[in-house]
Amino acid sequence: MKKLLVASFCVLGAIAQAGAQERAQDRAQLDKARAEGKAAFYANITAVEPIIKAFTADTGVTGEYTRISTSKFVATAITEFEAGKLQADVVQAPLPVLEMLKEKGVLANYRSPAAAGYPEWTRKDGAIQLFGIEYVALIYNKERVKPADVPKRYEDLTLPKWKGQIVMANPANHATTISWLIGLKENVFKSEPEWREFLKGLAANKPMFVASFGPTPAPVESGEKLIAISMPKYIVTKAPAPLDWARLSQPMMGTPRAIAVTSKAPHPAAARAFVDYWLSQKSMAMLAKDVGEYVLAPGVYPPIDGIKDARVIAIRELSDDEIVKWGAEFKQIFDVK
Amino acid sequence: MANPRNKLTWSLIAVVGALTVFPVLMLMLGSFSEGLTAFGRFTTDKYVEAYTDPAFYEVLANTAVFVLGTSLLSTLLALFLAYLNTRTDIPFKGLFGVISIVPMMIPHLLFAVSWALLLNPSNGLVNLALKQAFGLDEAPFDIYSLWGMIFVEALLELPIAYLILAPAMASFDVALEESSRVCGAGTWRTLLRVTLPVLRPAILAAFTLGIVRSLASFAVPSMIGMPGRVQVLATHLYTMISTGFATDYGKAAAVGMSVLVASVTLIVVYRTLTAESEKFVTVSSRGFRPTLVELGRARMPLFGLVGLLSVALIVLPVAVLLYTSFVPYSMVPGARAFSLMGLRHWHAVLEDPITLLALKNSLFLAVAGATIGVALSVFVAYVIVKVKTRAAGLLESLSYLSFSFPGIVIGIGFMWFFVQTPLYATIWALLLGYIATYLPYGIRPMSSAFIQIHSHLEESSLVCGASPLVTLRRIIVPLLVPGIVAGWILLASMFVRELTLSVVLSRPGTEVLAIQILRYSEDGLWGRLSALGIVMILISTGLVVLATLIGNRFKITAA
Repeated sequence: MKKLLVASFCVLGAIAQAGAQERAQDRAQLDKARAEGKAAFYANITAVEPIIKAFTADTGVTGEYTRISTSKFVATAITEFEAGKLQADVVQAPLPVLEMLKEKGVLANYRSPAAAGYPEWTRKDGAIQLFGIEYVALIYNKERVKPADVPKRYEDLTLPKWKGQIVMANPANHATTISWLIGLKENVFKSEPEWREFLKGLAANKPMFVASFGPTPAPVESGEKLIAISMPKYIVTKAPAPLDWARLSQPMMGTPRAIAVTSKAPHPAAARAFVDYWLSQKSMAMLAKDVGEYVLAPGVYPPIDGIKDARVIAIRELSDDEIVKWGAEFKQIFDVK
Repeated sequence: MANPRNKLTWSLIAVVGALTVFPVLMLMLGSFSEGLTAFGRFTTDKYVEAYTDPAFYEVLANTAVFVLGTSLLSTLLALFLAYLNTRTDIPFKGLFGVISIVPMMIPHLLFAVSWALLLNPSNGLVNLALKQAFGLDEAPFDIYSLWGMIFVEALLELPIAYLILAPAMASFDVALEESSRVCGAGTWRTLLRVTLPVLRPAILAAFTLGIVRSLASFAVPSMIGMPGRVQVLATHLYTMISTGFATDYGKAAAVGMSVLVASVTLIVVYRTLTAESEKFVTVSSRGFRPTLVELGRARMPLFGLVGLLSVALIVLPVAVLLYTSFVPYSMVPGARAFSLMGLRHWHAVLEDPITLLALKNSLFLAVAGATIGVALSVFVAYVIVKVKTRAAGLLESLSYLSFSFPGIVIGIGFMWFFVQTPLYATIWALLLGYIATYLPYGIRPMSSAFIQIHSHLEESSLVCGASPLVTLRRIIVPLLVPGIVAGWILLASMFVRELTLSVVLSRPGTEVLAIQILRYSEDGLWGRLSALGIVMILISTGLVVLATLIGNRFKITAA
């Protein structure tokens, strides 16, 4: 008994010492970050300023957000990197973008302790950590669409009642939409012919194409169109617009969002502090609550009715060649001029 | 006299060349380089891929109809307005100033969205009203078409055409028209045989600028053409750079090169057509006084037409903007919408510290950029018009270089260039980029004004012992005041809403208003976007009033 007690004390003491060491390390890390002054963050994500502000207030390190659209992300990061002027300490983008940057040597290895509770599949490698899914769903105008008419399956979008009533991002070039359509093939439809039948039916309903997801909710809100292939997060950001999402029997899908520190970060300690903060429950809760994002921190959900119970799948990352190839094919199928 | 003029020409070639050549050169390198940057192994693959795409030729056909239709319509409308305002006794002339300026201040994206809200075939307000009034089954208008694009783009280009044509008409020597009438010609015949031919340089300038601008335009093709599945060069380029994540700007630059060649060809054609500029001189040392054509019974109907145009250009889009900024989300006007109106979007915009910083930066860039741009434009326009050498032609082509490149690509050229310099990520990179790209906005109004000023005036001053600089300051510049004011207004309004360069060159601390607009647009926050759009209109209005007042004061002082 006495031995057991001594052993227990030893273990507790070791844990306490390890904890104290860790805290001391954290403090030292934070002091270093503070000495560096700021963490520059390149991303293309909505309304993250509150997180940046909270980071600055909580850590004493100034967070600086530069929003770079996805189409310019790789060009900007690589141009700056090759000229020795990459200003970003941390980069956040869709997974394929970070994969490309990693290949060019832009990313550094960093495994954040804040992501310890995240599912194992979110740790791509030593450099890239997944933290969210850019989830896509069918968003409809709940004042104009009767509950009985709301689609129950993706196939319902091919019904003639939706002719001229759908809005979606251009399937010939919008990477997330292209990936989503491929995701349907790989995760929802039983066979390729079934999937192609769906595509034909959707195309026959003459959806209105817009440049990206951003302009998809407005025509639905105003009643110009009734339904959009869009993102549920707009139910949060556009409240009190009469938007709701169709609870389908099939899974929801989206492209993974990833974060990493850069290999030549001007402020390396601040970069690590930023990633830790970003991946914390507090930040992820803000992202989910304020922006409606689907995050991968366990137990954190956006305040959208029914989302907790939805099955959300991360789509397989498509290479650029695949996106270009499928974009060209969808251009034909959807008769995009 | 040839020596100082030559010196001036070559100095300007050096300055303008330094501003405009490098980004285009970087893009050219990128178009011949393997990989995603400007410095890869030599390849012609990007040209082969870009020009063997079968879709490219359909896009070219659409683009030709779009740019020619837009330029023709905007030039005709501008001529109509400029003539009525400067040469007739039409009432409420103050309205013309407003028509010519306000649409230029509305961010193009919002202008296009406003028209989509009014004329979309599903629930466009104008379509709904017409369906109800005439019991129609189908919407009479579909904005999502090539004709819809031409209509909206022409309205957007109209102010620029007007600002080029109105000063030229204002300094028109009416003795020519009086002579025509004395010889028995009526008002119409005089207009067609005397007024319009004499104004040929200004008309061609407006038309050329319209073509170049609509070639580079993105907002209308994206917001109206894309939903209507009408692809033009700008959206073709967008599709090219946005398919996949590793954007190949070199391939887009390869397509952009043909736009550049088309624009430079246009400039050469323009120079040839206006080569004998003496023919167009109307302000000589003999003095001139403008007299007004009496419209008689046509006065009120013509004013009605102008009123209708004002509704289309200003009232409807601005009303839609105001309305959208007050309703919580995009909704059709009605009792419910009005009951839900509030200031939430205004609070969100005005309490955002980045918006306030962007406001400060945009104001600085507009005032400093327009002032430097106009000062440079006076000299460049002087050389282009008055020094008829090949070097002057080279200068004119150089001034169009960055401007002619599709906006969606030129920003990357500037980034590739500035990243090699210490100016990268500073506000000075934005300032230089703005001036380099939009110099023709300053040069065009000044050139058409210079063309109309007879060299006798200048020669008399020189004979009396004044230096070329003194002559420019004491004789030429006072006569150019309308052109200077027009150029300053064009540049300042452009800089307040400039997006294509800013989106690439802006960094934390150098945010500008258009970047905020883009953020709101990407997030689909139309309410905030509209509120900020109104703020931009108010800022531009302030700048325009300021420029006009200073211009008037200067004219009085000079007189």
